[in-house]
Amino acid sequence: MVLHKFGEKLYSGLVSTMTLHLQSMSKSIEAAQGASFLDELNAKWNNHNKALQMIRDILMYVDRTLIPSTHKTPVHELGLNLWRDYVIHSCNIQSRLLNTILELIQRERTGEVINRGLMRNIIKMLMDLGASVYQEDFEKPFLNVSADYYQAESQEYIECCDCADYLKKAERRLNEDIDRVSHYLDTKTEPKITNVVEKEMIANHMLRLVHMENSGLVKMLLDDKSEDLARMYNLFRRVSDGLSTIRNVMTSHMRDTGNQLVTDPEKSKNPVEFVETLLEKRDKYDKIISSAFSNDKTFQNALSSSFEYFINLNPRSPEYISLFVDDKLRKGLKGVKDEDVELILDKVMILFRYLQEKDVFEKYYKQHLAKRLLSGKTVSDDAERSLIVKLKTECGYQFTSKLEGMFTDMKTSQDTMQGFYAACGAELGNGPALVVQVLTTGSWPTQSTNTCNLPAELSTLCEKFRSYYLRTHTGRRLTWQTNMGTADLRATFGNVQKYELNVSTYQMCVLMLFNSNEHLSYKEIEQVTEIPSSDLKRCLQSLACVKGKNVLRKEPMSKDIGEDDAFSVNDNFTSKLRKVKIGTVVAQKESEPEKQETRQRVEEDRKPQIEAAIVRIMKSRRVLDHNNIIAEVTKQLQSRFLANPGEIKKRIESLIERDFLERDNADRRLYRYLA
Amino acid sequence: MNKLGRGQRDKVQQFMSITGSSEKVAVQALKASDWQFEGAFDIFYSHSHAKSAADTRHLEELYNRYKDPYADMILVDGITLLCNDLQVDPQDIVMLVVSWHMKAATMCEFSKQEFITGLQSLGIDSMDKLKERIPFMRSELKDEQKFREIYNYAFGWAKEKGQKSLALDTAIGMWQLLFAEKQWPLVDHWCQFLQARHNKAISRDTWSQLLEFARIVDPALSNYDPEGAWPYLIDEFVDYLTEHGIIQKGKLNDWSYKL
Repeated sequence: MVLHKFGEKLYSGLVSTMTLHLQSMSKSIEAAQGASFLDELNAKWNNHNKALQMIRDILMYVDRTLIPSTHKTPVHELGLNLWRDYVIHSCNIQSRLLNTILELIQRERTGEVINRGLMRNIIKMLMDLGASVYQEDFEKPFLNVSADYYQAESQEYIECCDCADYLKKAERRLNEDIDRVSHYLDTKTEPKITNVVEKEMIANHMLRLVHMENSGLVKMLLDDKSEDLARMYNLFRRVSDGLSTIRNVMTSHMRDTGNQLVTDPEKSKNPVEFVETLLEKRDKYDKIISSAFSNDKTFQNALSSSFEYFINLNPRSPEYISLFVDDKLRKGLKGVKDEDVELILDKVMILFRYLQEKDVFEKYYKQHLAKRLLSGKTVSDDAERSLIVKLKTECGYQFTSKLEGMFTDMKTSQDTMQGFYAACGAELGNGPALVVQVLTTGSWPTQSTNTCNLPAELSTLCEKFRSYYLRTHTGRRLTWQTNMGTADLRATFGNVQKYELNVSTYQMCVLMLFNSNEHLSYKEIEQVTEIPSSDLKRCLQSLACVKGKNVLRKEPMSKDIGEDDAFSVNDNFTSKLRKVKIGTVVAQKESEPEKQETRQRVEEDRKPQIEAAIVRIMKSRRVLDHNNIIAEVTKQLQSRFLANPGEIKKRIESLIERDFLERDNADRRLYRYLA
Repeated sequence: MNKLGRGQRDKVQQFMSITGSSEKVAVQALKASDWQFEGAFDIFYSHSHAKSAADTRHLEELYNRYKDPYADMILVDGITLLCNDLQVDPQDIVMLVVSWHMKAATMCEFSKQEFITGLQSLGIDSMDKLKERIPFMRSELKDEQKFREIYNYAFGWAKEKGQKSLALDTAIGMWQLLFAEKQWPLVDHWCQFLQARHNKAISRDTWSQLLEFARIVDPALSNYDPEGAWPYLIDEFVDYLTEHGIIQKGKLNDWSYKL
């Protein structure tokens, strides 16, 4: 017919025929009752589609020739449009269709099973009719209804559920809708519906959930509920600010509990326990972050910053961490496997990194290390060295050079002793065995030297050593550190009991006096030994007043040492062990005055460091203004300690005074480097 | 005089009273310097330089009058005599200005060199001329730039030879004197603060920066900038003022000031 120029007629005939047909179809669909409405629609739609196929095939020629020139709608599309206009959009069908679909979805939400296949076909029909049909006739209303539904449901749940339950329910709903989409909705709807669920069920109630008493985030953290936490993480991740909400609450919780922990006087009594609690706390959160928060970097950072914050609230943290290490290296790591040792040391390093005042730690570490080395009380040389290497990697060579110097001194001393006995062994014969550690002054913690008169046998021996040493090392000066030494004595009590006593050098001097004296008064002892009185008193207390270690008898039996107290050997002394340790050179938590002294020394040490930083910076910049100097100096010194701007200012003024710097004539806030 | 305006006539009167010159000379000098005092003074005094050659003998005589019997310097007694001749109190701040002109190294002494060269540069060869110059010297203290120079000079002048810093007592005395001229309301509090809290010598930097502080920061501290690179001592002073309630929220609550 087209060939005969009757195309138009054919086309319009097609239109009218189809229209009529569809109108009647529509009526029959409308007539369908209840549940069969959709079935009827579905069936008719299938028929229509098949018919359209055939018509399209038959009228292919029309499509190809008439349509392009007349710009009419192609046949198939025409068929769809007509279906849309006369069936779907017919006034009786349109809203009924929508309501039926929505009702079915609602029923499915409440747990009923519906005919998903049928739904799929109907929805697909809408999709086939065009994106706008799908969106206007289904998707938009669907989203709105869902929003209302979830809003109501979430409100109901939040009133009666605890956080974990609520999250489970929310997760379930979310998964259901995702499932629904995959089964019978357009995939493009998925992000839209998930947005709705996320908004209604999660975003709107986020803060309330997190702060829920007795079941919110804080409780979950305290009880290590990693499954619930993981669920919360995964759900909140979907909404904006979800993770930051969790992170902020977690951070402030960590800071608060951390703050309480470090400022609690009970907890800070025992340094080793203190550090162990910190390590436990860190492990706990580490585990939570890795198991529940999928090792999220931002959470790791929050953990680090919180620890940094509260560890530095307690000014004794550096000292305590050093004491913890001391305890481990002294006995705690005995028998522990190498890998485990490394693990513990690595954890210590993590805490070390959080410290702001690393120079304070260095000071204490040096002191404690010195005591360990000199009393020979370290459990594992390898562990010691391993830690030094870690510190070096973290802080650079300068931090550890002195520490390494201490180890070197110990080794060199061993060699020196060998040489000494090789050279002088013959003439020493059967005298007491001497072990000398020669310490290089710069590397070891500064000690004041005190007077102490050694017993005759020893002083000759010491002199022999001194001359031997100075023969090979002329130009050096040796000073005996009598307050740091130890001695092993073989003692016989009451002519029968023999014991080996391990004592400090001071104690040895006192005890040796009783070889030639039955009774001695405090004054006499003081006169002969010339040991400073406070040290001597402590020494005598440890020999006479401590139960189980009282090798001396004191009259009167009081705890304090008086000027006229009389001492004599305690012949009734007994001990279960053959070897008795009396001298203690163990590292302990410092007393208040000692702490003040150390703090003062640290402050003094910081001054030249600040000055060096200022000079370094000014040398390269030549001219710099006040605020920038402060910022740069603080940055340079950050790895060791937090520099106080007031102190930096004082150092600048001192440098101006000594003509290293000057103020600019025009701008008084500028400083100039003077070559 | 009748061709001059009111302001100009005043200036002429001032000039005459300061320099002791005649009206004619005054008008000449002021006209030549466009009625600016600075220039006029310069012109007036530079005329005196023409006579410098003949004056060295006069100056030697003058020097010998005041010189100490045992040392080749003018010391305390000589200075007292000098002040008497000038009819000026030895504690008068104008003596500081004199010393400044002479570039004297230390207070209470003039070397021969300082005395003679100093007077020469001023174009003065007699006590009378010096006496005439005194009012001018007083006026120099009113000039901001000159005051600053004199103030900073005072540090080196007042401190002990060989010391780097200025003893606190001397510093306080100098400050009282100098800030009486400059009118800084906080000077008494500053001195009290130093005696209560600092009790050590004053460094040159602190000395010079104090003048800047007095110049720049208003007495109620409303424009004080804690990050303003002020010496540490001045920061402490500000803390002291707030602690004692002398400064509260930019108000100066200084009862004594009202008196």
